[in-house]
Amino acid sequence: MTESILALQNVSYRYQDDTPALDNCSLAIRRGSRTAVLGANGAGKTTLFLHLNGILRPSAGQVLCGGIPLDYSRSGMRKLRSLVGLVFQNPDSQLFSASVREDVSFGPMNMGLDEKEVRKRVEDSLQAVGMTESADRPVHNLSYGQKKRVCIAGVLAMKPEILVLDEPMAGLDAAMQDELMTVLDRLHAAGMTIVIATHDLDFAYGWADEGIIMESGRLLADGSPTEILLREEVRSALGGAPLVAEIIRRLLLIGIDLRDKGYLPRSKGELLQAITAQIKQEDTP
Amino acid sequence: MLTEQSAYANRWRRVTPVAKGCFSLCGMIAAFAAGSPRTALIIALILSAVSVFGAGIPLLRYLRVAAPPLFFLLASALSLAISLDFSTSATGVSLHFSGSDFSRIAQASSRSLACVTALLFLALTTPLSDIISLLRRCKIPEILLDLMTLCYRTLFVLSEAVHDTMTAQSARLGYTTLTVSMRSLGGLISNLIVQVWQRSLALHNAAQARNNDGALRFLENSYANSRLSISIAVVSGCLMVALTAILP
Repeated sequence: MTESILALQNVSYRYQDDTPALDNCSLAIRRGSRTAVLGANGAGKTTLFLHLNGILRPSAGQVLCGGIPLDYSRSGMRKLRSLVGLVFQNPDSQLFSASVREDVSFGPMNMGLDEKEVRKRVEDSLQAVGMTESADRPVHNLSYGQKKRVCIAGVLAMKPEILVLDEPMAGLDAAMQDELMTVLDRLHAAGMTIVIATHDLDFAYGWADEGIIMESGRLLADGSPTEILLREEVRSALGGAPLVAEIIRRLLLIGIDLRDKGYLPRSKGELLQAITAQIKQEDTP
Repeated sequence: MLTEQSAYANRWRRVTPVAKGCFSLCGMIAAFAAGSPRTALIIALILSAVSVFGAGIPLLRYLRVAAPPLFFLLASALSLAISLDFSTSATGVSLHFSGSDFSRIAQASSRSLACVTALLFLALTTPLSDIISLLRRCKIPEILLDLMTLCYRTLFVLSEAVHDTMTAQSARLGYTTLTVSMRSLGGLISNLIVQVWQRSLALHNAAQARNNDGALRFLENSYANSRLSISIAVVSGCLMVALTAILP
């Protein structure tokens, strides 16, 4: 694996009620990657994310950032949290201020930036998530999807190098999911490492270039999603395989190989194209 | 919620809170400076007219927001005017209307009325986040302002949680009879306590994740022509105070 920006080494963590949330878990997140974290409910995804941002401290093992163990002092945490932006699953637990613009300014103000810089960052990140028009609206009048975008803007305004999102697509309609995807793709193109926890296998298969599969607080598999998502133990842990991969596999069983041009369809659109091309090819003798 | 709607949707939403605060303060000074009930009533009328015609708050909504404080004002005025007397009559207790104090009661009530309209003006034209930033400029201790910010935000989160839980309970016949209602209410309350605890923990985590170390800091809004609007507010406010000096 190339340079990892964040890594867990044999990390264990127990909550107060003694349920082990992470159990001797080791994994790494590659710099500049699009990483999807998959796992059943309760597999430890959220606990993992809280460790990446230094909110939780491992009971055993250590978290590395850029190869160096995390420094849990006040100044160490300041540095880490400016580097790793964490977007929580429930927007209502992340938004404090009643006004959109104020809330987005919260992170950069905490970083101690001067007012001019904060103002610029707030406007830039509102623009990035397409919420400029709602900047003066009260948070409680926004829809769920809009609240979610404000949360993302609030983290973007801190200009992190790594953006960690806990189920960002949950509760969003298809159009809004597409919009969010565009935003994330733009950020990734600008060099940001993006880590997403999701239950959507099709999305992970099509979008991610790195997959992390968790099961009962442990790493079950990691690597290229096109490979690991087809493994038997991963399929049984996640309760299925991505639709596109499944169709390719079934077609292969009846002797149609869509991969023969050395290209593997990963999204539904690409799959349709490949099938149409295949049919055309068979029609022309 | 009505106050909330007006605060975000009135003609003077984009006017700096300093101007609105100054005007409201002048209104209160005028209310105390008013020498007679008639003058205080005139001040109250001016302040409500400014809210309705100036800031463009619908009259009906204004009256609905004003109704609860006015009801309390009426109740306290009545309790001042009427007293129970245990000594005079042979039957034991008698109602006593203190006519001699009438002018004092009228004075106090009319002043309170004027103060209420002054505060309503501020509440109906200025969102709470603006009022908090105004208080911050007045050097009110940060801890109080942080509490205000959090209370205000959690108010909506909680009311939504109450609404959702009650809807879910009603959907499963939770409020059909009195006994069932009592039990559902108990369930709602205990559920809310747990939710409050969990949400406060989640908020704390979220604050930490965004590098917070105690005080809540936000960017202040900037307003166009704030000097001009402050001058207008102060001048008109002073005129109102001067009016109380001219009127008997």
